[in-house]
Amino acid sequence: MENETIAGGRRMLLIGFGGLLLLMIVAGADALLVLRQVRASDAKVRDVYVRRSRALDQVRAGIYQSAIVMRDFLLATDPDIAAQQVTHWNDIRERTDNALQDGAGVLDKAEAVPYRSLQAEVSVYWKLLAFITQMKEQDTRNRTAEYLSGELVRRRTAMLELVDRIDQISTRQLHAGDEALDEAFKTLRLRLILMLAATLGVGLLLAAFTIRRTLHLETELQKRYEEGVRARSELQDLSARLVSAQEEERRNISRELHDEVGQSLSALLMEAGNAAARVPDASVDVRRHVESIKKLAEASVNVIRNMTLLLRPSMLDDFGLVPALEWQAREVSKRTGLRVHLAAEESSDELPDQLRTCIYRVVQEALHNCARHAGARNVRVIVRQEPRRIVLSVEDDGHGFDPGRVRGLGLVGMEERVTHLGGAFEVQSRPGSGTRIAAELPLAG
Amino acid sequence: MMPIRILLADDHTVMRSGLRLLLERQPNLQVVGEAADGRQAVELAAAEKPDVVVMDIAMPHLNGVEAARQIVNRAPQTAVVILSMHSDESYVIRSLKAGARAYLLKDSAESDLIDAIHAITEGKSFFSPLVRRILKEDYMHQLAEMGAEDSYELLTNREREVLQLVAEGKSNKEVANLLNLSLYTVETHRTHILQKLNLHSVPELILYAVRKGIIS
Repeated sequence: MENETIAGGRRMLLIGFGGLLLLMIVAGADALLVLRQVRASDAKVRDVYVRRSRALDQVRAGIYQSAIVMRDFLLATDPDIAAQQVTHWNDIRERTDNALQDGAGVLDKAEAVPYRSLQAEVSVYWKLLAFITQMKEQDTRNRTAEYLSGELVRRRTAMLELVDRIDQISTRQLHAGDEALDEAFKTLRLRLILMLAATLGVGLLLAAFTIRRTLHLETELQKRYEEGVRARSELQDLSARLVSAQEEERRNISRELHDEVGQSLSALLMEAGNAAARVPDASVDVRRHVESIKKLAEASVNVIRNMTLLLRPSMLDDFGLVPALEWQAREVSKRTGLRVHLAAEESSDELPDQLRTCIYRVVQEALHNCARHAGARNVRVIVRQEPRRIVLSVEDDGHGFDPGRVRGLGLVGMEERVTHLGGAFEVQSRPGSGTRIAAELPLAG
Repeated sequence: MMPIRILLADDHTVMRSGLRLLLERQPNLQVVGEAADGRQAVELAAAEKPDVVVMDIAMPHLNGVEAARQIVNRAPQTAVVILSMHSDESYVIRSLKAGARAYLLKDSAESDLIDAIHAITEGKSFFSPLVRRILKEDYMHQLAEMGAEDSYELLTNREREVLQLVAEGKSNKEVANLLNLSLYTVETHRTHILQKLNLHSVPELILYAVRKGIIS
């Protein structure tokens, strides 16, 4: 359930950020595309305009130049000069025709009609001029020119008017192109603004969602963390309660065994003796049975004595910590051959039961480790009471271990016992250099 | 001859009646009272002024060691025999320090109690054979562990005589009379003995003597 929510949120974020990115890319690409289109169409419009203007200029110039050349041709007396002028005129004619042809390639509808008229006029004009140049005699030419001059002027004026008209149309078209360009830019700007607004909107939404989600996750994390801490403290509490319950149980069993079973067995032993004494001239048989009862009872008493001490040494409750530690040291020495040197000061004040038990059990466990795992020969146990705390250490000369890697050996249990009473616990060991465990416990008051 | 007057202190009725039966089989022993806890034992001892108190350690209200201390303080002529399940030296030494003159294990009561009562009324100390054995073993073990030399070798013959008599419960004056020495000389010997053996009190000296098997 929770996982699904998290996965859903993650998918949403992914889609959101992906969408936002895509939106921005699309907006950018679109703007670039539009910009390029606009620029291309603008360039085309200008190119057309320039080419046409050039053509028209050429036409205009050609008309004027032809007139000048024609006049010179008519005035020339020398046939060579006249021929020269004809050649010149042919050049002009060719250039003008080329320009006209060039200009025809980039026409639009509005210009087509006047342009065709212009072409027609020009070609008639050329024909008239050509007719004049074909006259052989100067007189004839002059007469023809005179005859045609009205016609020529009229034609020239018409052509020039046509050129001006086309020019005007062309200029108007250029303006129209500029307006279209402006329009295109306006559209582009609007589009960009819209895109920006959309991006901003989505971004804001996404940010809001992200913030909300982060806050939610943060709260969740805090909650989990607190739960974890609480669970751990509960666990430690539970473990401490378990330890103390176990200790209480041991104490009770030990007492019960000792005070009830042990005493009863002792009484039984005595009563067996009393019974044997009561039988006058008791037969060997009866004495033998009584002896056997006594032996059994004695053996049981010994078993119970050892059991009770191992469960919880009665000295710990009857006399305090130091006698119990002394007994423990003697027992370990006797059982395992380990040399236990105990330096424990007997304090005048009775230690609280919890503290006493804790120190005793930690030392017991540590000595157990020394004997079982450390391969030690000597152990030094120090318990020192200071005004506000008790310091204890158990140091052996065994082969040591790596405390970072080995964590068993009852170390966790020892540490838990100590930390539960607000103390500090430390293990110092290195392979090949012995082990030292140290603990420090605060004294209340 | 006056019978020896005895007070029994044990919280177990069966134990008390068993002990009473055991003691009263003897012609010159008389049980004058029974106490079920330490406090009652102290009160009865004050009221009855018995010669001997036979007392358990594990008792409600006031344990046997504390009760012994109070009884001996109020009535020094009363000798206390501790009859306990505990065989560890911490119990023995604390009982002796509290003023008890004998320490028996309950499971050997039937065979040892009568001997112990006779011994302490003669001014000697008495310990169960098992207790003696345990103490001796511990001591030998400690000696072996420490690699220490036996400090008993340091004592002179005279000091050894004094040690035995003191350990048996004799006062300085009695020792002086027995050995024909001045009181001052006996005191000097005692001080030397304690120093040489690294002991600090008469109970420790008695314990030492038991461990060495000088007294039984």
